[in-house]
Amino acid sequence: MSLTGLAWRSLRARPLRAFLSTVGIALGVAVLFAGLATNAGIDASVDSTVRGLLGRADLRVAALGEGGLSAETVRTIGSTPGIAVAAPALERRTYLQAVVPGAVGAALPPPVTVLGVDPATEALLRDLPLIAGSQLADPDESSALITQGLAEQDGLHLGSPVTVQGAGDPVTYRVVGILAGDGPITGAFGRTMVVPLRTAQAAFGQTGVTRVDIGLAESADTSAVSRDLESRLVTEPYVLSAPRDLAVTLRASTADFQATTALIAAIALFVGAFLIFNTLSMTVGERIREVGLLRAAGATRGQVTWFMLAQALVLGVVGSLLGLAIGALLAAGMVAYVGTIGSVTLARPALPPEALIVGFLVGLMVTLAAAIEPARRAGRIQPVEALKTRLDLPSGQRARLRWLAVVFVAVALVGVIVWPRGADGAGVIQALVVYAILLIATMLIPFVLPATARMAGVPFAILFRFEERLARSSVVRDKSRTALTLGGLTVGLAMIVALGGVGQHARAAAGAWIADVIPGELVMTSIRPIGTEEGVAEALSAAVPGVARVSPIGTFDIALKGVRTDAAAVVGADMAADGRLTFTAGDRAAALAALDAGGAAIVPAGLAASLGLSVGQTIALPTADGRVLELRIAGIVERSLPGSGGEAVLVGWGDTTNALGLAGADAFAVRFAPDAPPAARDALRTAANAYALEIVPLDRIGGAISDALARIFGLFDALAIVAVLIATLGVVNTLTMNVIERVREIGLLRAVGMTRRQVWRSVAVEAGILGLAGAILGIVVGLAVGAAMVLLAGGRLDVGAGVPWPTVGLTLVLGVVVATLAAAYPAYLASRLSIVRAVRYD
Amino acid sequence: MTTILEARDLTKSYPLGSTVVEALRGVSLSVEAGEFVALMGPSGSGKSTLLQVLGGLDRPTSGEVILEGATISRLSDDQATRLRRDRTGFVFQSFNLIPLMDAWENVALPFTIAGEDPGRGEFRERIRDAIALVDLTGKEHHKPDQLSAGEQQRVAIARALVTRPALLFADEPTGNLDYTTGTEILDALWRSCVGRGQTIVLVTHDSKAAAYADRVLVIGDGRVRETIELGRRESHDATPLIARLAQLGL
Repeated sequence: MSLTGLAWRSLRARPLRAFLSTVGIALGVAVLFAGLATNAGIDASVDSTVRGLLGRADLRVAALGEGGLSAETVRTIGSTPGIAVAAPALERRTYLQAVVPGAVGAALPPPVTVLGVDPATEALLRDLPLIAGSQLADPDESSALITQGLAEQDGLHLGSPVTVQGAGDPVTYRVVGILAGDGPITGAFGRTMVVPLRTAQAAFGQTGVTRVDIGLAESADTSAVSRDLESRLVTEPYVLSAPRDLAVTLRASTADFQATTALIAAIALFVGAFLIFNTLSMTVGERIREVGLLRAAGATRGQVTWFMLAQALVLGVVGSLLGLAIGALLAAGMVAYVGTIGSVTLARPALPPEALIVGFLVGLMVTLAAAIEPARRAGRIQPVEALKTRLDLPSGQRARLRWLAVVFVAVALVGVIVWPRGADGAGVIQALVVYAILLIATMLIPFVLPATARMAGVPFAILFRFEERLARSSVVRDKSRTALTLGGLTVGLAMIVALGGVGQHARAAAGAWIADVIPGELVMTSIRPIGTEEGVAEALSAAVPGVARVSPIGTFDIALKGVRTDAAAVVGADMAADGRLTFTAGDRAAALAALDAGGAAIVPAGLAASLGLSVGQTIALPTADGRVLELRIAGIVERSLPGSGGEAVLVGWGDTTNALGLAGADAFAVRFAPDAPPAARDALRTAANAYALEIVPLDRIGGAISDALARIFGLFDALAIVAVLIATLGVVNTLTMNVIERVREIGLLRAVGMTRRQVWRSVAVEAGILGLAGAILGIVVGLAVGAAMVLLAGGRLDVGAGVPWPTVGLTLVLGVVVATLAAAYPAYLASRLSIVRAVRYD
Repeated sequence: MTTILEARDLTKSYPLGSTVVEALRGVSLSVEAGEFVALMGPSGSGKSTLLQVLGGLDRPTSGEVILEGATISRLSDDQATRLRRDRTGFVFQSFNLIPLMDAWENVALPFTIAGEDPGRGEFRERIRDAIALVDLTGKEHHKPDQLSAGEQQRVAIARALVTRPALLFADEPTGNLDYTTGTEILDALWRSCVGRGQTIVLVTHDSKAAAYADRVLVIGDGRVRETIELGRRESHDATPLIARLAQLGL
């Protein structure tokens, strides 16, 4: 029989070990493939979101001012050379039925987004797939397409009348078509209606449009047309963007998720490598005599090495294929569970062929890489080993951790190579640092093993002294094997602790962020801009007793160095009085006063860093009348108000209303006086209803962020638990091996009077010690990794700092429980040993 | 004299591939308190199987083993284990020490397994006694790999004796040892028998070892073929036994 055939038989002779190794590889590959597939799914969703938003448009001109882009501007765009189609549209949020002012306690219905389009030009750039009815045709007819969600929620169908609250009297449309899915606007929660542009302009009392989508002629060059547009459009502020810009922004919002998924996948694979390495090392140890016989019979070193590698190859191929199947299921589960990442809604995971190939090859390579060292060790076995009666492994024959470092680095390199997109530079550095900490921790395990085992043994010693003593000596018997097993467990559990820490920090930071920047305990939002002259803030302060401050906030977009940037108009004095905003540069009092005085801006630290802005510099913004507004940077704040795509540049109300053309506030922050009567909140709700304002408490904003974070971190935890699962397979493997090696010893103990239950317990205690030691080390390493992740992501340890106790507790329990479960089979095996055969065992 | 161990019509068969091996084919014997009995026979005669069945390590296919009045072949596994722990001691051919425990801990093992604290006065006394009996005083804290083969086997004997068992079973205890070391072991066993009245059942195929016994049962083909009464002797010269065996045509 050939050596390859013998290798196959050798695997089949140890079905449990072969099975455990295969499942270990499969789970590692599954996490990797699920990560790749989810990330491909994110990319596909980004593309489809961009397509949905922009259709086939090559460029978009979006209005910055509330007045929008005038008909004149739209005509200028249409007549620019190289532009084939210019499709104008008006977007407004409103309510469907008339809101009765002052209706006490009546909750506002969810708003609807109305999109007015020119039916002729829009159709050239965007498909609006329908599930029923027909497309808009007449530009002057009051017909509407509504989304499926809106139809279901409000009980509308083809032919239904829909009444829209416009600027003046309500306007009634007739439903002519039902749009498939969520419709063309993201962020509208699927409540969108598309109507002819002219009817929308009439309904909202507008003459301008919100944006113009541009389709270029076939021969036109995008950058040439962009330059041409910039020279022609000088009368109104606008932002010119291309689909690519949007895709970049959207991808950036998912980068952290993708990087973390990649990191966990790499770690799961690495834990899988532990398992393979350990398994094959055990096989070498166990088969020294057999291999010695092969060598004595004339097998060359190369043949023996191949004999071992062939086994790894079979395990790698079967495990990787199985892993791809499990990974596809896992990815589907991940996407369904997470739903939304950043600004991107996930549809389904993509299963790109590259990911299939990468997943398979990486699984195979990691398996083979982990097998090389044990295989070479097998090759070095001398023929005389076969003749020795006692099989004591010389130290040179034991598994070497050093080799694992090489595998570790190889996995890291593969990770960096196969993850070209999504993870930016910082993500890669973060991953490598985390990886390095885990590697160092793993290499140190053999040195801390005896002390950790003693510590972990204490609770067991109280209950089962003798079993604990036996178990602990078994744990330290083959230090390199235990270190490998413990290494896998430690790495898996460390990731759970680290992610728990990072998640706790992220949630605390999100809550702290909102509380740090909003001058109030609740926010009232409006669907229309409320001008200062309407005196709503003053009226609310006067009408509701106990309100200390009502501060208007207006959000808008600016073009900063050619990039669309979020901005917000705020009252500096309110911020100062309420003690909001943390300044990292500039004088707080002076900066906030300068904001109200005009000509100044406050920039969030992240933006300042990315654009290279510092206090004293000026930024130039295009104004409503076509000039340029220069604002001096008066201060830099740690966090600023959240905008739709990032943090907002803060500008004073004077500049915003006069120069930037903002019509009014779309939100008010309300702060109650400390002695406010309990009825104040109800009174505010009543008063707010009169102005169609919706009240959003801060904790709900924080809660929404927290929920989204909890979902994402829950997923990461699930992936890390897969790594722990792989490590558990290693525990089963090691305990079984320890039992097999100790057959004679166990037989002797049984002969001397140890009961089956005592034997069973001693194996279970051994597992418990391993699990607890893994958990202790995992917690220490995990806290370090978590702190490193927070620091590298630019976070501060004092926000939401401290040990994530619930996660730590869970990790302790998880470590002990999974390890003890892993002991079930080996313990059974040990307790059922025949004494007679055991004492004869050779 | 009281009978301490009795075997009635023991048989033991086990499957080997497609055939059934009959290792014991109806063995009856009894051992009196304080007696030193040797089971002799060529390899494959069934002597080791007989010892394992007598000691409760294995169950007979049929027949009964009565140790101090208790029928061990009818006890549950746990009960048999406890009886073995408290009332018998075993010495094997391979020394079977726990490598990670020192000599003292290895000797203390039966107490530790029973959940006793071997450091307690009475137990400590017994352990010290057992170690002294096998001449290992001073080497209590040596690990097995720091002891010679003979010393390791003496630790095993001390462990078997430490509980003051009713019966000591020894399965080829000198099989792995050279002549001189083997003699030391046999002397130690014999001292415990003469000095303390320890009952011993020894399996051997070496007539020099069997010459220490009061009575030699010759086992062949799964049966007791012959009983040779030697009586308590001071000189362990094997010549009379060899002569007797020759007379029997063995």
